[in-house]
Amino acid sequence: MPASRPARRVLLALAAVALACGRNGAGNARTLVYYESYDPRSLDPALSTDVPTGEMVTLVFDGLTAFDPDGRLVPGLADRWRVDRSGLHYVFHLRPGVQFQDGRPLVAQDVAASFRRVLDPRTMGGRAWPLLPIAGAQDFAAKKSPELAGVRALGDTAVAIDLAEPLAIFPKFLAMPVASIVPDPAPTDLAQRPVGTGPWRFVSWQHDDQLVFAQNPTYWGGAPLADSLRVRIIPEPLTLAAEFEAQRVSVIEIPFSETARWQALHPTWLVRKPALRVIYLALNNRRGALRDVRVRQAINYGVNVTEILHRVYADRGIRARGAIPPVLPGGDTARAGYDYDPARARALLASAGYAGGLDLQLWISATNVPLARVAEAIQADLARVGIRAELVARDASSQREAARAGRADMTLLDWWADYPDADNFLYPLFASASFGPGGNYAFYSDPETDALIRQARRTTNDTARVALYARIDERVYRAAPWLYLWFPVDLWARQPYVAGWDLPVIFNGQHWARVLATP
Amino acid sequence: MTRALARRLALTLPTLAGVLVVAFLLLNVAPGDPVLEMVGERADSATIARLRAELHLDDPLPVQFGHYAWGVLHGDLGRSYVTRQPVMTELLGRFPKTAELALAAMALASVCGLGLGVIASLRPGGFADRVAMLGAYLGVSFPVYWVGLVLIFVFALALRWFPPSGYGGLAYLVLPALTLGMRSIAVLARMTRGAMLEVLGSDFVRTARAKGLSELAVVGRHALRNALIPIITVLGLDVGSYLTGSILTETIFSWPGVGRYVLTAISKRDLPAVQGSILFLSVVFVLVNLVTDLVYAKADPRIAYD
Repeated sequence: MPASRPARRVLLALAAVALACGRNGAGNARTLVYYESYDPRSLDPALSTDVPTGEMVTLVFDGLTAFDPDGRLVPGLADRWRVDRSGLHYVFHLRPGVQFQDGRPLVAQDVAASFRRVLDPRTMGGRAWPLLPIAGAQDFAAKKSPELAGVRALGDTAVAIDLAEPLAIFPKFLAMPVASIVPDPAPTDLAQRPVGTGPWRFVSWQHDDQLVFAQNPTYWGGAPLADSLRVRIIPEPLTLAAEFEAQRVSVIEIPFSETARWQALHPTWLVRKPALRVIYLALNNRRGALRDVRVRQAINYGVNVTEILHRVYADRGIRARGAIPPVLPGGDTARAGYDYDPARARALLASAGYAGGLDLQLWISATNVPLARVAEAIQADLARVGIRAELVARDASSQREAARAGRADMTLLDWWADYPDADNFLYPLFASASFGPGGNYAFYSDPETDALIRQARRTTNDTARVALYARIDERVYRAAPWLYLWFPVDLWARQPYVAGWDLPVIFNGQHWARVLATP
Repeated sequence: MTRALARRLALTLPTLAGVLVVAFLLLNVAPGDPVLEMVGERADSATIARLRAELHLDDPLPVQFGHYAWGVLHGDLGRSYVTRQPVMTELLGRFPKTAELALAAMALASVCGLGLGVIASLRPGGFADRVAMLGAYLGVSFPVYWVGLVLIFVFALALRWFPPSGYGGLAYLVLPALTLGMRSIAVLARMTRGAMLEVLGSDFVRTARAKGLSELAVVGRHALRNALIPIITVLGLDVGSYLTGSILTETIFSWPGVGRYVLTAISKRDLPAVQGSILFLSVVFVLVNLVTDLVYAKADPRIAYD
């Protein structure tokens, strides 16, 4: 559009204004700028069911335990804890001298009240499961009992928690945002003006625009190095890349379409880390031809996963030969498995009675462009071995509903860990108790697997538990409930002037307290 | 005039009632489950059942509609399933930002569109005309998404005149307003040119020139005013659509307006938020059309409402 002379003058004048009054971005030495791709649901820990909400809750609040950027379990508000031999009775000792950001001291009663609040149906949070292993939690949540029997304050400084049955990884559940400790009584506007014990104090929230946090000078872990942390809401990945290049955001995830350009242009800014995620095609084990293990194995032999990972997914992943990511103990990516072998795939299909091929629907989320391209590549490979896959592209919500209800033959999915433990890739994904909404979209059901998972959850010895994880993963892999694809490798860029930031393997593993911008 | 206005306003009520019913029915037959969106990727069935009960999602549809309509009659659009905040509060927080962007886009469109159209019409076939009409042609043809990203690349990254995105002072407004107004500028330029050419060739303009009026007075006072009617129509329609949120522009420029709110609400199957937004934005649209009609009367004395 050619600008007329007056229009050009207006534009120039506006540009001058822009330079004069432009809001200071990441250039401020003491301000860090992070981002989310959509507005958090709330800042109330009880409502943290998605990643943006969980990340924001992690800034303001603490749990009894926490994760570090490498996904290790570390002490949080509890500086130590012990569990008795039965694995049922825990005692968490609170760190002395911790204050909420409004100056009130943290006491054990706050812990008990926080857990009751999450389980109380009136809270309508939707994510009670991390606390449901507590004795009496099911009854309390169902209003069958007025009290949460399994949680007792022992004076002001310790909390006893009894479980309904042994669960060795329970301390990891307590590091999830939903188990954060809020003051008792909780402020009525906690969701919009949160008060916690965390490293960052809430300042303001302009919905869909930005959240502002200031350092909590009395943080028990030491005041954050930076003065403030702004979290901008930036929905478009290419805009985000522009914001980073304009030095107005401290760190970003590199958009898919930009991988090659950034690797060529700014190799020193990039940070790579295998993520606690798995991308897979759930094959509905209770539907039609997919009930036959030979058909499911044929799909695994018939798709050239390595090639798709390379060509379509920019090599941003590690080929999966099991469901447990290689970062976690129990994961094995060197397992002998389904290498690309179309002839074998056709033979398996023929032995299953599908020599003439078969028709299946492959459901994808139309809004996830990289995965939609992966689906097209899978479709092409399957066609070569005689499987005619029809792509069904819906929005994420419709796709999820169909998959959870068991109406989809095959569904392309991306599973993110809630806690860094192999259990998070076995119990929700393959236990028959997790059918549908619980995470088992393949409707894989095997009594032996169920028993092994239950046994692993009860095993307190780490080595023995990891051995069980590997055994379960191997067993499930042979039954091919999925087309196993890959574990994504995250690719982020960090401004050269940002120090102390490490890409977390789990979304709530970065608290931003040791990060500093020094332009 | 007042009576006519009252009648027009009264006539909008059945329209809005229809919107209410259709929005409710459409959302309830659409696939997707709001509770599954609330609980995230992993949930136990007992929690899901309790949430459905707390949200009255298991009630028969007519009962649910009754509750909802009763609330709306009392000015209550309900609470978002996702954020648990009142939908009205969330909309009122975002609407001024959408309005700001819409008005800026309209101002740009009026000034640039009218200006280009008038300049082009003064010497049809001349250099200015050709350049302006080529620009207008491109302006209608390029997709908003592409225009927005190119503007960010040129003006925010290469020239560093404006910030790439976000909400703030005037500087933050320029690129999104230009992106949003681009199509209107192009359409207005072509319409203005056409209308002006028609008017400039008419008898009363010849008379005005014959009276010895300056060219500025002829074009500005006589011709342009008569060319305004179709232009107001286009502006009115465009403003109506801008005010109801421009999802693409708001997304590209991280602009915190109602367009993105509606988009998020739809993707999360946040029924109260979607229904409330549709109703709220219908009211806005109806009001804008009403104002447009009033402006007609101002611009053209032949049009009167009584």
